[in-house]
This record gives sequence, C-alpha cells and structure tokens, in this order.
Amino acid sequence: MQREKWKDFRLYVITAEANHPGRSLVDVMERTLIGGAQIVQLRNKTGSRAEVLEQARSLRALTRKYGVPFIINDYPDIVLETDADGVHLGQEDLPIGEARRLLGPDRMIGISTHSLDQALKAEREGADYIGVGPVYPTDTKPGRKAVTTSYVTEAARHVTIPFVAIGGITLGNVDRVLDAGARRICAVSAIVGSEDPAAACRSFLSRIEAADAAQAAKTITVNGREERTTAATVEELVRQLGQQNKQLVVELDGLIVQRALWAGTELKDGASVELVHFVGGG
Amino acid sequence: MIDAFEQDPLIIAGRELRSRFLFGTGRFPSPAVLQQALEASGAEVITFAVRRVNLESAEDDSVLQHFDGKRMAYLPNTSGARTAEEALRIARLAREAGLGNWIKVEISGDVRTLLPDPIETLRATEQLAREGFVVLPYTSDDPMLCRRLEEAGAAAVMPGGSPIGTGLGLLNPYNLGLIAEQAGVPVIVDAGIGSPKDAAEAMELGADGILANTPVAKAQDPVRMARAFKLAIEAGRLARLAGRIPKKKYASASSDLAGSLYEPAAAGRGGGAG
Repeated sequence: MQREKWKDFRLYVITAEANHPGRSLVDVMERTLIGGAQIVQLRNKTGSRAEVLEQARSLRALTRKYGVPFIINDYPDIVLETDADGVHLGQEDLPIGEARRLLGPDRMIGISTHSLDQALKAEREGADYIGVGPVYPTDTKPGRKAVTTSYVTEAARHVTIPFVAIGGITLGNVDRVLDAGARRICAVSAIVGSEDPAAACRSFLSRIEAADAAQAAKTITVNGREERTTAATVEELVRQLGQQNKQLVVELDGLIVQRALWAGTELKDGASVELVHFVGGG
Repeated sequence: MIDAFEQDPLIIAGRELRSRFLFGTGRFPSPAVLQQALEASGAEVITFAVRRVNLESAEDDSVLQHFDGKRMAYLPNTSGARTAEEALRIARLAREAGLGNWIKVEISGDVRTLLPDPIETLRATEQLAREGFVVLPYTSDDPMLCRRLEEAGAAAVMPGGSPIGTGLGLLNPYNLGLIAEQAGVPVIVDAGIGSPKDAAEAMELGADGILANTPVAKAQDPVRMARAFKLAIEAGRLARLAGRIPKKKYASASSDLAGSLYEPAAAGRGGGAG
C-alpha cells in the first residue's frame, strides 16, 4: 500500500457477517471490492481470536489482490501478524499512543469518535483518520445515541485529518450526510447486507461523486445570465456551454483572456464571463 | 477609366484600398445574398458588430465564417456602446479576435436617432489611438469635431449623412463639403445613405469613401444594389477628380451663338403692357 494514497478513499466498507447469512465473508467482501470499496475493515466483536485471525488472513489476501488497504477493528497483534495496514479503535479500546507503539509509525490508526472533542483529541494523539458517527441510529452499534449530521458538519469545519461518516448511512440518507460536509462515507449493512454489494458500492460512489460535483459548482454570470457550473477553468466552461466550435473572445471579470490561456485560467465563484463574437453590422 | 480608378487608391493607415466602398454586413436576408452582394460591391473593407454569443446554440453563427479566405480589411464597430469606456471595452474584445486593429468607434446615447455622442466619441478616439488602434470614428457632420478627431489620432473621419438606417441622404452637404475640404485624413461618409445617388453626391462633395449597409441589405435586390453603389461611388469619385462646372443662375448654350441662323430671342422680355 502506498502510504499517502489511502487518504483518497471515499468509500469505506466494514464487515458484518450477521447481515449476510448464507454467504461467505470473503465472497461478500470481494463483491464490495469489485464495486469499488476503497478501504475494508474487518470487524468481529463476537468471534474468538482464532476466528478473527483466520478471517484476517483471508481478507488480507483478498484486499491485497485489489490493492485496497485492510484495517482490523481492535487486535493490533493480528494486524502485525497478518500484515494488515492498520487498526481501528473504539473510544474504550487501547489508547492511540499505545497502538502506535505496537504498530510503529507506518501503519494506519483510526478511531471512532462521537463528538468534536473526541475528534480533536484523536487528531492530537496522532490518529490517521477518524470515524464520525453514528450519524443515524444503527443496528450495528445498538444503544449508541446518533450524533446526527450536525456533528458531521462540525467535523468538516474543524477536523484536518481524513474523517469518514458512519452509522446508519444508506442510499436513502447518504445525500444528507454528504450535504452536511462528509466527503468519505462508510456503510455497513447497506452494503454487505445488500443482495448485490457491488452494485450498492457503485451507487454510493456515484452519490459521492455527484456531491463532489455539486460542491464544486459555483455561481457565475455568463453573458449577463446567472449559471451554475462545475467548470474549473475558462476552457472547461466554454466546452460545457457547447461553444468550443465558435470563434469567440472571452472576457473574465472585465479582462480579456487570450485563447492560449483559457485552459490555465481558473474560474472562481462569482466570476463574470462574457463570450462574444462578430455579427453582421454597419 | 476603371484603370484610372484603380490607380487612385484610398489609403487608410497605410493600407491601400482599390475600392472606396466600405461594406456593412448587417441585416442581409441570408448569408448567401450577403456573400454575393459583397462580391458585387468590390468592397475590401467590411464592418461588423461585437455581440454576445447565443448560448442556446452550438453552431458557429458568427458573421466571420462567411468571409473565410477572403483578403479583407476588417472593421469591427463599437455599436451598442453608450460611453467611451464601453467603446474601449468592445474595441479591445474585437482586437482580441485577431483580425487586426481597426476599429469603428460608434457611440450613441440615443436609441431613437442613434446619433453619435460627440464628447464620448472624441474621448474614445483619443484613448484607442493611444493604444495603437486604427480608429475610424463615426461622427456628426461637424467640421470642428472632425478636426478634433483628426488631432486626436483618427485614421479617418466618418461623418454621417443622416441618422443610421434612415436613407435620408445628405442632410448637410455644406458641412460635408467643409469637412472634406479641411480633412488631412480620409473622409468616409457613413450612415443615412439612401441610394447610389447619395453616395455619388457625397463623393462629388469630396468624400474619400462611403460606408453603407442598410440601403444595400434592405434593397429589393441587394446584389444588384451593391453593384449600383460600386458604380455610383466610382462615378462620384471620377467626377470629383474631373472637376464639375460651377453652378450658374442662367443658361449658357452648349454651342457658340456665332453663325446661328436666327437672331437670339430678346433677353428678359417683360410680360403684359409695356
């Protein structure tokens, strides 16, 4: 695993065998990888250490095949033993500092947080990422009070390490979570409990991408008309507007942008753009 | 005689033009008619306007596509501008299109008459000339103003005969004559021309060229009218060069009276009982 590349993940999937009776853990998790899962966590709170170790070995082999980071909930020792990429901790598990001593500087340490205080503390203590949730009540963690999307918004504002929203997230509510400011989503039962985990992953990813596009969108004025656009540059805007085949001159905020500079000219929110050309006249 | 005409080029900012017709490209019934009319006109300078593109259409509806490959002098105008600043902006946009640095300054603050705003026109001319444009201002037919425009760096002055598109012809031939007489740069009569006779008249008054659009584009047969204008402009120019006779109050016979078979009629014969 490339140490920094993992930070690009958008969809984090956690095992939950109870959600797919009759289907094997490896089969279901392979389906999520086919669907585009970008981190896989093994979470088994009820099995014996031996059982967890065996599952960890299988999933390590599987995730390596797909080039996806593999995290184990708890069990830093199994992380080392199976050469997993990191550990995920709960608030009641061993402290981050302890886990870091056990795992060394290169493995990832993630921790579940339920408040901004916990999030900032985790950040200070050297966590690589945090879980933010449960956003909605979830059977995966019964009895835990939902933190709602307001904590997601707080985290988006104040947390600088990657955070992943988790807890009761489904295709039915993921848009609200993304709207609240989440960029990374973790779903458990909505994916592994689905008839088609690959399709579920793809659906989540497309919702995440759509949110990206919506967030990237800015309001600009084109020829006196307000427009929403995701175009990052003048070149992209001209193309998005279908005007690329015209001999036109572009003015951005009152200044002409020479054609050669279109691709390198950034379009900012609130920009005013004029696209002009020549028409008949005397 | 056509050869003589060709040896008498109109020179604007160092560019030699064999035609003294500046051709407006607006309001033609179709691109095909526009192209044929342009061909028939013999014009080497075409004018056009700068406008926002139609975002609803992906098709290239620019007027320029109809002139590909033709060796033309392009004269974009600043129509739509109400102030010097607006004209400057349009001029800079036009120059960015890469078709040269000629600009027809056209600034109007009045939608009904479209008459040029003299103050703004002068300001824009000064600034654009400073920025290296070849400036051809559309101006009122005021000799003093034309002089000031020339001093400000205009490459030609373009007084109107009458308001744009009216076809009223030359409302103040006296002024146009004065402007032509004094100008050190070419004088192009622009706007208000109704028919070829107006163009010929302007040329005889001493104009160096004619800019016309509506009387060609809106004629029943624009192609034929374009040719009529070409001929009238040539005729007017030749007449100017040839030197017309002075106007007289009374007749003078074309043949000498000596050897006439009859005595001349009594001059100034009074009527009634004498």
